[in-house]
Amino acid sequence: MKSRFWTGIAFCSPLIFGLLAFTVLPVIASFWFSLCNYPILEPPHYVGVANYRDLARDDQFWHSIRNTFVYVLGSVPLGMAVGLGLALLLNQKVPGIKVFRTLFFLPTVVPLVANSVLWIRLLNPQQGLVNSFLRLLHVPESWMPGWLADERWAMPGLILMSLWGAGGGAVLYLAALQDVPSELFEAAELDGAGPTQRFRHVTIPLISPVLLFTGIMGLIGGFQEFARAFVMTQGGPWDSTLFYCLHLFNSAFTEFRLGYASAMAWVLFAIILVATVAVMRASTKHVQYEQ
Amino acid sequence: MKNRSNRIVGFVALVLFAALFTLPFLWQVSTSLKTEDQVGKSEFDLIPRAQTYRLDGSDVEIKPVERKGADQVIEVLEGPKKGTRLTVAPDSLKLRPHLEWSNYSGGFQAFPFFRMLRNTLVICVLVVLGTSLSCSLAAYGLACVPWKGRETLFWIMLATMMLPGQVTMIPLFQTFKGLGWINTILPLVVPAFCGNAFFVFMLRQFYRTIPASLMEAARIDGATDLRIWATVVLPLSKAALAVVAVFSFIGAWNDFLGPLLYLMDDDKYTLAIGLARLQGQYSSDWGRMMAMSVVMTLPLITLFFLAQRTFVEGIKLGGVKG
Repeated sequence: MKSRFWTGIAFCSPLIFGLLAFTVLPVIASFWFSLCNYPILEPPHYVGVANYRDLARDDQFWHSIRNTFVYVLGSVPLGMAVGLGLALLLNQKVPGIKVFRTLFFLPTVVPLVANSVLWIRLLNPQQGLVNSFLRLLHVPESWMPGWLADERWAMPGLILMSLWGAGGGAVLYLAALQDVPSELFEAAELDGAGPTQRFRHVTIPLISPVLLFTGIMGLIGGFQEFARAFVMTQGGPWDSTLFYCLHLFNSAFTEFRLGYASAMAWVLFAIILVATVAVMRASTKHVQYEQ
Repeated sequence: MKNRSNRIVGFVALVLFAALFTLPFLWQVSTSLKTEDQVGKSEFDLIPRAQTYRLDGSDVEIKPVERKGADQVIEVLEGPKKGTRLTVAPDSLKLRPHLEWSNYSGGFQAFPFFRMLRNTLVICVLVVLGTSLSCSLAAYGLACVPWKGRETLFWIMLATMMLPGQVTMIPLFQTFKGLGWINTILPLVVPAFCGNAFFVFMLRQFYRTIPASLMEAARIDGATDLRIWATVVLPLSKAALAVVAVFSFIGAWNDFLGPLLYLMDDDKYTLAIGLARLQGQYSSDWGRMMAMSVVMTLPLITLFFLAQRTFVEGIKLGGVKG
């Protein structure tokens, strides 16, 4: 077939324009800004790696990195575990599976801001549903978590909130589970494998590509967490929920340190890249793709 | 026997978890219908109730006004004695189920809901149109037209998907400011007309499965590429386009950072940004806040039920192939 260069270019021209104008050129500009002192009202002024050096000395920067890692390391594995648990429950031969699947999925449809408003209320120490529930279980009043009002409990509160969205992963895991041929389980059972062994050696390996995918997407999304903290806590109390991207946003749009914030964006990119590659590397031994 | 009891345990666990995941919704709706007085109570009660007092042989709704020593001053809210204040013993008050719709009507007044809904819908419709159009054109160019350089373009596009939005956020903000686009919807809408790497990728994978013979036949009949795209490819890719439309709609409806950066005036606010502001101002009026969060959630839940198959399709496309 003969090459039809100009037709191809014409069809892709909006995309090419978009990639150039909204990605490639801004990326170059961002890298340049990260090497500049750029207080919004003055033009950028080259300062070399000073912004990166300042970052290394900024306590809030390290604090925000720590917070973000705690969130990612808490919410991603827990979310996957809950999602997998739900998927296993859904993968039974019982009536009404579609209804249950819908119920678990619905929380992921709730708009982020509406969800944040709801959870501020759910996590209210006195009148919130979560603590009412704990009271029903006779948890003593002195043990009641203060959630968003308490610096030790604010991050666990946000992680708990993220678990309400575990149904998104569950739908994916369920689809993968249903693709597993039942002969494999029967064969394993005939070989004398118990339920735990079947789960570890048949179920997990067969759905491992989907697990890896949701893990990586969760990781990338977790590092970019912003709106939730902005609406619910503004990073407080005592910076305990100061996420990396919230700190970045504040540096750029409340302190107007555009160069500094650009450097933070590049460090974020590096963190995401390294974390993703690390997870991929670590998983190659465990993830099995179909031949 | 063992199998049967296993199945019962499994089903009970399923029901328990479903109840746990549904509870926040029930609680949200119930709080949105509670009186201010009941919202402030700490006991767990899903049924909205109002306090009543037995007056002249019938129970009338009342509102507690203040404590006076051991007694309670109340205001009668209905019946012939509406508006009068009485001092009564607290244990003479009872509760009965009652839906406090004023959280919704009051919320609509405090919060220019319909204006924000219109602002949000204008952005959503333009984003859906722009994304579907630009992405399907680009996908046709990448999948159905052979040309030198299309592989390079495809790989550049995939590489940009790795980049977190924070990297381009500041230069784009400065650019849009330079163009005088701040406080307009242009920064939120124009990029949608210039393709979206993820959706282009998805549609390209889909277009590659369309038999080339169909397009060749149209070409022999003298159809141009634009005509083939419109009359052969688009009708065959309705399901995939629906995925693009639904998910770009949700993205625009939920977008928080974009409107936060680019919309300054109250009368331009979208629902997401408006509700976040309301949260800051009326943080004590929880019945009203819950009512407004219900109102913001309902359209998406409705969309989900209308397009459930498209959702499942999209999740699988995003999850398995992406």
